[in-house]
Amino acid sequence: MYNSAVRGRLIEGDKSLGQISQEIIAPIHAKTPIWWYAALLVSLGMFGFGLYCKYITVTTGIGTWGVNNSVAWGWAIINFVWWIGIGHAGTAFSIFLLILRQKWRTAINRAAEAMTVVAVFCASLFPLLHMGRPWLFFYIFPYPNTRGPLWVNFNSPLFWDFVAITAYLLISASFWYFGMVPDFATIRDTAKSKIKKAVYGFFAFGWTGSSREWLRFEGLSFVLGGIAAVLVVSVHSIVSTDFAVSVKPGWHTTIFPPYFVVGAIFSGFAMVLTLVITMRGLYKMNDFITDSHIDAVCRVLVFISLIMGTAYMTEIFMAWYSGSEYETYLFFHTRIFGEYAVQFWIMFIANAIVPQLFWFKKMRRNMWVVFTVSIVINIGMWFERFNIVVTSLSRDYLPSSWASYSPSWVEIGFFIGTVGMFITGVLLFFRFIPMIAISELKSVAKFDKPQKNHVKHTSHE
Amino acid sequence: MNKEYILGVFNDEESLVEAFEKVKKKGIMPVEVYTPYPVHEILEGMGNKTRITHAAFFYGLFAAIGILGFLSYAAGISWPLQYGGKPFNAFPSFIIVTIVATILSITLLTLFTFSARAKIFPGKKPEIIHERATDDKFVMVLDKKSLGKENDSIRSIIKELGEIEKKTV
Repeated sequence: MYNSAVRGRLIEGDKSLGQISQEIIAPIHAKTPIWWYAALLVSLGMFGFGLYCKYITVTTGIGTWGVNNSVAWGWAIINFVWWIGIGHAGTAFSIFLLILRQKWRTAINRAAEAMTVVAVFCASLFPLLHMGRPWLFFYIFPYPNTRGPLWVNFNSPLFWDFVAITAYLLISASFWYFGMVPDFATIRDTAKSKIKKAVYGFFAFGWTGSSREWLRFEGLSFVLGGIAAVLVVSVHSIVSTDFAVSVKPGWHTTIFPPYFVVGAIFSGFAMVLTLVITMRGLYKMNDFITDSHIDAVCRVLVFISLIMGTAYMTEIFMAWYSGSEYETYLFFHTRIFGEYAVQFWIMFIANAIVPQLFWFKKMRRNMWVVFTVSIVINIGMWFERFNIVVTSLSRDYLPSSWASYSPSWVEIGFFIGTVGMFITGVLLFFRFIPMIAISELKSVAKFDKPQKNHVKHTSHE
Repeated sequence: MNKEYILGVFNDEESLVEAFEKVKKKGIMPVEVYTPYPVHEILEGMGNKTRITHAAFFYGLFAAIGILGFLSYAAGISWPLQYGGKPFNAFPSFIIVTIVATILSITLLTLFTFSARAKIFPGKKPEIIHERATDDKFVMVLDKKSLGKENDSIRSIIKELGEIEKKTV
């Protein structure tokens, strides 16, 4: 049972169930604030610039990027892995915390899942355009074709990756959507305007909240939750095999799958923090996303940060201990003290050292510190991917194939475009969708109140 | 012909569960219960069972066999190709695609099953019994005819814990 005297209240301010729905739905009914339009304009501008860069990439070719024969994976793959990592938070939040029976997840999971869907969408654009001829991308589907039929290579991690990302996008989107159906019904039944009633009524799929619906809804959540847990671990493991099954120095290591999965959850949780702190600030959701919610995420982060630090140290240790001269050269002469030392140290400090601030309660309770650290972690995780992708490619076994890499403005613009897309997605989410899972939050509201004995302490699980 | 219903409208889960259990003790089964969030006592007490988890298991079983079969067929029989000296049927490396695609199949098929069985689909017109059942009220629907002799006692149970409303559908 959840003990709010020990763990902190789940919802502040003794709200009735009606108040909970009203306060969460309020931003949907309220007049759209000016800052929202301003932010949308900026993000659409970024998105537009990204579209222009994509146009150049498609019409002229990958030659407009800074990549070369040795470093064939530049910003595109860095950003792909970065976005996919961020996209891990949604399922990690909903599923892992569901399995661990963490009731505080109910206030945050909706935002995390929304973020996941947008982030995975951003991520999928990079490999698509990196193909060079994206209009032939359907070749990667294993379908009976006129080229043989020549099937795709089922042994290739690049194909595994395609299957994993497609599955992840579809599954996280449907998980997110079906979680919202009861909330759309709440908006439909409480809205005064006819248009809203009709629109949200359509998206509510005729939900009424009857016991038959809830029974099957619970069954569905159970099934989706159970199998998506496997997906959280498998998707980023598969992404890591894109690197780990090669024979490049620095990539060919067995630590990669767990290292990637943990890193993904790390960056995802950091982005969740960035997002929910923004939500708290802009929409005054402090009663639902309380200080103790933020505190809990910070504790998770400090733990994961230790794992990240251990992973970095393990990689360095193994490079030395294995006696492999290529590994040693890569780690000691390229990463730690070499051409890419700056990127290495930003990664190390931002991911393994800065989050240690969260050992102190004072830091965990200061929203400015938490917000800044969450951004620092996101930057650090970007540099981690830079380290992995670029350094190994630029220092191969043959010195004749050594090359340096720096991005062209088209690559940078492509990335800016996805950031704009992400912000646009988040803004639309703020405006039109209940930011917090209303029905789930209501189901845990009783834990804050004294209760009679006969009610079992079950909730939305 | 129109049917008359009596609605027990409660403000919280505890009152609903208490009334629900008392009504059931009198030998009367509510027609349906509407709640803003799932209440497990009600889901169990209504006596309905869902087999959606069993369905999901079989979807997974058939999907896994089908996908693994397809991969082996495509790589081993239809157009065998050598990749890095591996055997045509490079089974262990098929496991990954099998797992992920199985998960995808389970998800999509279970969603369709849910949609069909719970009758939740786009364009459906909701049959709203009580406007606030998705907001903050817990509503128990009783068939007026089924009450019979217990009419008064049931009414007093509901009145003690919540309110009575009438509805004709």
